[in-house]
Amino acid sequence: MRNNLLGCALLLLVGGVSLGARADSPLFTSRETISSLNGEQIYEHICQGCHMPGGQGATGAGAFPKLAANKNFVSWRFVALTVLDGRNGMPPFGYPEGQGMRSGPAHLTDAQIADVVNYVRSHFGNAYKAEVTAKQIAALPHPAAELMGPQ
Amino acid sequence: MIGATAGSAAMYQAMNSLGFAGESTYRGPIDLQGAPRGASVLILGAGMAGLTAAYELRNAGYEVQLLEYNSRPGGRNWTLRGGDRYTEMGGQSQQCEFDKDLYINPGPWRIPYHHHGMMHYTKLLGIPLEPFFQVNYNAYLHSSRAFGGKPQRYREVKADYQGHVAELLAKATRQNSLDASVTKEDQEMLLESLRQWGALDNNYAYTANGASSDRRGYEKNPGGGLSARPIPSKPLALHDVLDSGLWSGVANGDTFDMQTSLFQPAGGMGRIGEAFARELGPVVRYNAKVTDIHQDERGVSVTFTDTRELGAPQTARADWCLCTIPLPILAQIPMNVGQAMASAISAVPYAAAIKAGLQFKRRFWEEDEKIFGGITYTDLPIMNIGYPNTGFQSGGKGVLLGAYVWGLRAMEFTAMQPPERVKKIVDYGSQIHPQYHQEFENGVAVAWHRVPFTMGCFGMWTSATREKHYDDLCQIDGRIALAGEHASFLGGWQEGAVTSALDAIGRLHQHAVAQGEKA
Repeated sequence: MRNNLLGCALLLLVGGVSLGARADSPLFTSRETISSLNGEQIYEHICQGCHMPGGQGATGAGAFPKLAANKNFVSWRFVALTVLDGRNGMPPFGYPEGQGMRSGPAHLTDAQIADVVNYVRSHFGNAYKAEVTAKQIAALPHPAAELMGPQ
Repeated sequence: MIGATAGSAAMYQAMNSLGFAGESTYRGPIDLQGAPRGASVLILGAGMAGLTAAYELRNAGYEVQLLEYNSRPGGRNWTLRGGDRYTEMGGQSQQCEFDKDLYINPGPWRIPYHHHGMMHYTKLLGIPLEPFFQVNYNAYLHSSRAFGGKPQRYREVKADYQGHVAELLAKATRQNSLDASVTKEDQEMLLESLRQWGALDNNYAYTANGASSDRRGYEKNPGGGLSARPIPSKPLALHDVLDSGLWSGVANGDTFDMQTSLFQPAGGMGRIGEAFARELGPVVRYNAKVTDIHQDERGVSVTFTDTRELGAPQTARADWCLCTIPLPILAQIPMNVGQAMASAISAVPYAAAIKAGLQFKRRFWEEDEKIFGGITYTDLPIMNIGYPNTGFQSGGKGVLLGAYVWGLRAMEFTAMQPPERVKKIVDYGSQIHPQYHQEFENGVAVAWHRVPFTMGCFGMWTSATREKHYDDLCQIDGRIALAGEHASFLGGWQEGAVTSALDAIGRLHQHAVAQGEKA
């Protein structure tokens, strides 16, 4: 409903067509449609803004960690808690839907967090086979709801 | 129907999200009398906080050194002009190809009149200010799914929303629905005020006539001579105004931070950092990447490397350190402070935001649409179009702020490579200004998470993290104090950086005075 392009996005997803590589995708997601994205799509729409295509990371005055061949990924909890709660400057994605920080990050469901954790742990030279489930994510501590009043 | 408008309402709520209302705590020039002889302060970061602190401490007699990562002063106080080259994290470079005198401020772009600290320093530094038009009645409110995607003039939406609401309230009053809450005498005053506020006719109706057209504009404007007679315009129906969601853009200029008057430095926001740097001269050392901060009983040592050379790490040392390095970067730099400050440094995520400057062959928004400065708001992913508040009717080319985006959509723009961002921004903008594709020449798009010297736009606090960490972030730890917009309640505003720096150096000064002159 938000706009025509999103209407197209929904149709494509319903039709089972993959959004494909981010660079080829003309589509923007939204608070309404983000729940349709799978792990790969979440990575390409959101994570790679900092962690870069292929999980290569980047360096400036500080660094965005390289996800490729990342030894920390042996712990799925480490990855999952990072996505849920953020880490240093990284925004948290585990806020309850419709809550979280003003101008702040998007809400991902437990199933989506499981999916994106599984995606990064099985790509970019990482080959951890054990799949994390939404139930396991749900059992981890989530950031508290932050009720935001009007400005 | 509610579902249809909810997204738009949320969008406009989000639009205001970068404004955090709050009066600046600036209370006039800082008094740092009695600086101990020979006392020194090492400042990290030449943004608004670091430059303000360096300027005041040096004037107070401290020995000051300032280390800056970039090869220029200002930090987020930054203007991209033709000839500038900007390389983001990940290695993608953008060459700014704007014509002479055209620019874009990728970071802050406005100074509210009540940001007293910023007003003080711009005056002190002799920087000419121009008006910044937060509200332009002739700019647009745009929803891609209302009015067939046709942008509406702010003037019309505001007048019609206000007129219809006034008519409804007048009706309720005259039907005695408000008898329990408003006295009869006040009801008369209320009705008169509604007629005035909403441009209602003698029967308290909002209709197509001279009164409503005097607010929303005419079908044919009044003029002179034989062709003078005006024709009133027809207001939008209440249902259409409500259903479009555009009503939620009406109050955009009403928040404290956005109220007239606002200003911009002539020639770009970056003029402020440049002027500070001219004052400070050799105090500022550029191209210095801090890699370690270590304090002991007598002072603070900071290790840094020169980003242009592969030379050995160097060390700077002073009695005290004011560190304004943005938290995502500081969190990665070894620094021996207590757990309280260390936890606070790691507790503040940084917001996503993107801004893009687009150069067009002509100022079609002025020539064709009579939009002189101000902002158009849209539900498209570009969220804002900002028109230049200077150079009106100059006849030549012009640079628009083609997008100002935060939240999820900013993350998605960030995830693209710069040329794709610019292309998308031009495509989306053409839904509002069809002239885009014909007139576009070149553009730059800055995604703040990929900015090497901040790794994010600004620190996002919540009431919970404020409660838990804010004081710990601002307390002096031994010989180290932090400052920046992240150490303020004016998040994302330069005024937060300035006031936090003054607060921190005031306290550092007290410590230094208490310790007395060096033996």
